[in-house]
Amino acid sequence: METNTVSRRNFLKVSSLAGTALCLGFYFPANAKKEQLISAIAAEQSAFEFNAWIRIDTNGKVMLTDHRAEMGQGSYQSVPQIIAEELEVDMKDINVIFAQGDQTKYGSQITGGSSTIRGSYKKLLKLSATAREMLITAAANQWNVPASDCYAESGHVIYKPSGKKLNYGELVTAASKFTPPQEVKLKKTSEYKLIRKPLQRIDTPMKTNGEAIFGLDKRLPGMLFAVVERNPRLRGKLKSFDDSAALKVPGVKQVFKVQMIVFNTTRDGVVVVADSTWAAMQGRKALSVEWDDSGFDHVNTEDIYNAHQELLKTKDGLSFKKQGEPEEILAKAGKKIDVIYQTPYQSHSAMEPLNCIAHYQNEKIEIWGPIQAPDWVQGDISDKFKIPKEKVIVNMTFLGGGFGRKAFLDYTHEAVAISKQIGKPVQVVWTREDDLTQGPYRAGISYRGEGSIENGEISAVKFKMAGQNIDHWNGPARDKANGSTGEGFLTPYFDGIKNISFEDVPYEMPLPNMWWRSVYASTNGFAYESFMNEMAVLAGQDQLDFRRKYLKDERCQALIDKMEQVSGWKNRRKNEGFGVAITECFETTVGQIVKVSRHSDGKIKIDQVWAVMDCGWYVNPDIIKAQVEGSIVMALGAATIHEITFKDGLVEQKNFYAYLMPRMTDMPPVEVHIMENTSDAGGVGEPGLPPFAPALTDAIYDLTGNRIMKLPFNLNAV
Amino acid sequence: MINITVNGQRHDIDADPNMPLLWVIRDILGLTGTKYGCGVAQCGACTVHLNGEAVRSCVTKINRAAGQSIVTIEGLSLNNNHPLQLAWNEMNVPQCGYCQSGQLMSAAVLLRENSSPTDQDIDDAMAGNICRCGTYQRIRAAIHKAAAMQTGGAKI
Amino acid sequence: MKKLIIISGIILITGIITLSFKTEPAKATNYPILPKDSVGSAKAFMSVYRVLMSPRCMNCHPSGDAPLQGDDSHIHTMNVKRGIDGKGIYSERCSNCHQAENIAGLHMPPGNPKWGLPPANMHMVFQGRTPHQLALQLLDPKQNGGRTKAQLIDHMANDDLVGWAWHPGDGRTLPPMTRPAFAAQVRLWIAKGAYAPSAKAK
Repeated sequence: METNTVSRRNFLKVSSLAGTALCLGFYFPANAKKEQLISAIAAEQSAFEFNAWIRIDTNGKVMLTDHRAEMGQGSYQSVPQIIAEELEVDMKDINVIFAQGDQTKYGSQITGGSSTIRGSYKKLLKLSATAREMLITAAANQWNVPASDCYAESGHVIYKPSGKKLNYGELVTAASKFTPPQEVKLKKTSEYKLIRKPLQRIDTPMKTNGEAIFGLDKRLPGMLFAVVERNPRLRGKLKSFDDSAALKVPGVKQVFKVQMIVFNTTRDGVVVVADSTWAAMQGRKALSVEWDDSGFDHVNTEDIYNAHQELLKTKDGLSFKKQGEPEEILAKAGKKIDVIYQTPYQSHSAMEPLNCIAHYQNEKIEIWGPIQAPDWVQGDISDKFKIPKEKVIVNMTFLGGGFGRKAFLDYTHEAVAISKQIGKPVQVVWTREDDLTQGPYRAGISYRGEGSIENGEISAVKFKMAGQNIDHWNGPARDKANGSTGEGFLTPYFDGIKNISFEDVPYEMPLPNMWWRSVYASTNGFAYESFMNEMAVLAGQDQLDFRRKYLKDERCQALIDKMEQVSGWKNRRKNEGFGVAITECFETTVGQIVKVSRHSDGKIKIDQVWAVMDCGWYVNPDIIKAQVEGSIVMALGAATIHEITFKDGLVEQKNFYAYLMPRMTDMPPVEVHIMENTSDAGGVGEPGLPPFAPALTDAIYDLTGNRIMKLPFNLNAV
Repeated sequence: MINITVNGQRHDIDADPNMPLLWVIRDILGLTGTKYGCGVAQCGACTVHLNGEAVRSCVTKINRAAGQSIVTIEGLSLNNNHPLQLAWNEMNVPQCGYCQSGQLMSAAVLLRENSSPTDQDIDDAMAGNICRCGTYQRIRAAIHKAAAMQTGGAKI
Repeated sequence: MKKLIIISGIILITGIITLSFKTEPAKATNYPILPKDSVGSAKAFMSVYRVLMSPRCMNCHPSGDAPLQGDDSHIHTMNVKRGIDGKGIYSERCSNCHQAENIAGLHMPPGNPKWGLPPANMHMVFQGRTPHQLALQLLDPKQNGGRTKAQLIDHMANDDLVGWAWHPGDGRTLPPMTRPAFAAQVRLWIAKGAYAPSAKAK
């Protein structure tokens, strides 16, 4: 009954819009293969849960609901840029609001896997073209002229023969009553006026004057602040705590035990609730807490990598992919290499530390925060607190960076648990120390690469990886190879290299791990592409020419040509080191060339990075360039400056003084080029990261003859 | 009561004199443009101007600011039209945007003291501000652009 | 034979330099005048030197224009620079992070009202100096901030910023001797003639 009432209320809200504004959206039936494009009236008639993705009001303004998070990757600009193109409105007439979490209204909302555009652009184009056609029809009806004589431009429908026009606002009431046409004609790439143009981002003004509201900036009436002293070890238990001193800190209201669910396990904590963040932090400092860590494996970083080495040398892995007979060939080969690469654990360390506001109100839970996957949070909270989904309202704020961490469900769950206990809205703030020391982390992975060259050609390649598998946190499947064993490796290599195999040697460890920008490609890419560079050396061939032979795919050939051209590859001079790598992830291929030289102070400096991205169909070239620039900075930090290490089961890096970040002085000049083609859209936010480290180490090899096998390495000491 | 002036407005603050200015600004005055990033003066996200200097408000106790004048990102210009803000928009500098308040407040001191900064000057002024999105190249370009706007007579 | 000549030469030069300070007004002395003792004086300076070369002192007397940090004396992150007054430049002024006092907690910025490096016109470099070089430098008013020997003693014994080295905040190692012991060695060094250790002393 309760559910029905809510639907009914939702219904009334829709009804008030239906018949005046033109509202279009999608309905994502749980069991159907494809979403349905519907209008508000249609939704009302069929009692669908509905929320307009676009709403055009009688003043001609467009309200766009951004179903994805904005965490820097640019959905707040690129989604309206798509809509404005086919809807024929000016960008300034579009207002953007963030969607609440709900898969039935928006489909998948996870801002991950570089999927914002590639996962929805076709729907968005169709949606906006449909609205445009409905408005054109409304105008044609009013003028009593053929719709084919009318066209839309800049928020108006214009009658071609006479030039008379009507504002969209004057047409929406009529248009809202039409059934959306099934088929609409979409523009050709060559007809785009906005898409593919480097428009300024509409979220920039509010990010330069302090107006943008991030999770930590959201305030609710009566809201309290909380920080949590959590067990520094996952699964460790709370033995006891003394809150007497904490409760004496002015502003501190309550102290109690809280349990946060992390994957299929828990992390115990003691929460301090206060009337300001500072008071809560002071209260936390005054706590004395005793943890029970018995039975926990107190792991050290050194042990992890020793175990990896052992596994790679002695164990056969689970097969991820195999073609031909690499092992037989390798066994007989004369000219071969057998090498091990090592990559570190890393923290996401978004500039905005984790935080979440929750307001538990008996029958209803409302959440605000920097959230990458509002639909997942809705489902998770509904499950864990036994409250119907439609009563779990998840609001996205701007995210001060995400990189995968804010698609996790621990911090949102914990905030709800705390609010439930105190019965008030509360903002749970993670300190930088919490953010860095609690994980989950990008797992460090080790790789073994074996390869042979015969007559200047690759005769066999065998890769084996050993490292934690994220999937194992969520389910069994321990008898299957990591599904991402091949991630980062270019698909066309499989046509060029006849004998090749990938294996995964499972390695279990109680350290929580999680996706990190570009996920497994971030580590795989270093190993696989470093290996290809070593194979080129073994074959005595130029790295780019060597790749040309094995990447016959037309797009790859064009990409390599472009890399060669923009970097001046053929005109390399003595005393300059040039390195190369190309990786593929999320349907996008990126090649990078790094140039290094030794400067007068004896240190190696990165003089230039050239990146060429083939992401197929794209929206805003400037956002793409920014994403690649940023990916390279993140890769630079992970390759040369920071790593997460463990001692006695505890993380050693507690803040930025120990987990150093690249700074202005570390930034190499980066030049980004985008390949022009009309293939389907690939991802943009992540694929620029993986090729950087192997291209950098290849450049260092080119300059010094020293091949770096282990990340991170100290660039100042090479 | 501690009296401080923030963006030209006087406030009497009733708080622990040891409370960092950051939390006074955010939690008491409700000006959330100034960000918490690290709490240990490593990242610069909390940078505000205290008597014109780019102090890290996360380690600056409120009592240091007593009777002093503070400018936060909200007060950098009247209409988001400081040359740096204009340049930031034109060059599409921010990605997530979280660190940019601090970046701008640092850059504003640089530009005030050096109307045409070199790359070296930018390195010397801006390496105290971390950007995890990696917008450094654009920050550098935007500072140069803002310097050019300023000398070109753009409104401040 | 050659070696002996060089050493005598050094002693001679040292003597001359010491002599040049004889013109100081006597009323400014805050140290006893003891019999000249080049061995005892140089020995006292070696104790002083160990303190001055400890990270707590040397980190702000670097050879370059950037301060050093930590017990390993690495270059200060954030590319901090000296500036004209030694207090940093632009948005990276020392006092932007360093307060008038230390902030509690590991890795929190240490503080003092005068926090900074020596100014651009008076670098007072400790890093990389041999005992011999540093002794001469400290005695030279052109390189020591225009201080007389008495003022030098006063600076070492009583200056608040120098004194920070013995109250460096959480997690920082102390200089190898107490401040009174340090001040006594400075006084002894000067009282016995302010000799510089030999150029070979380390």
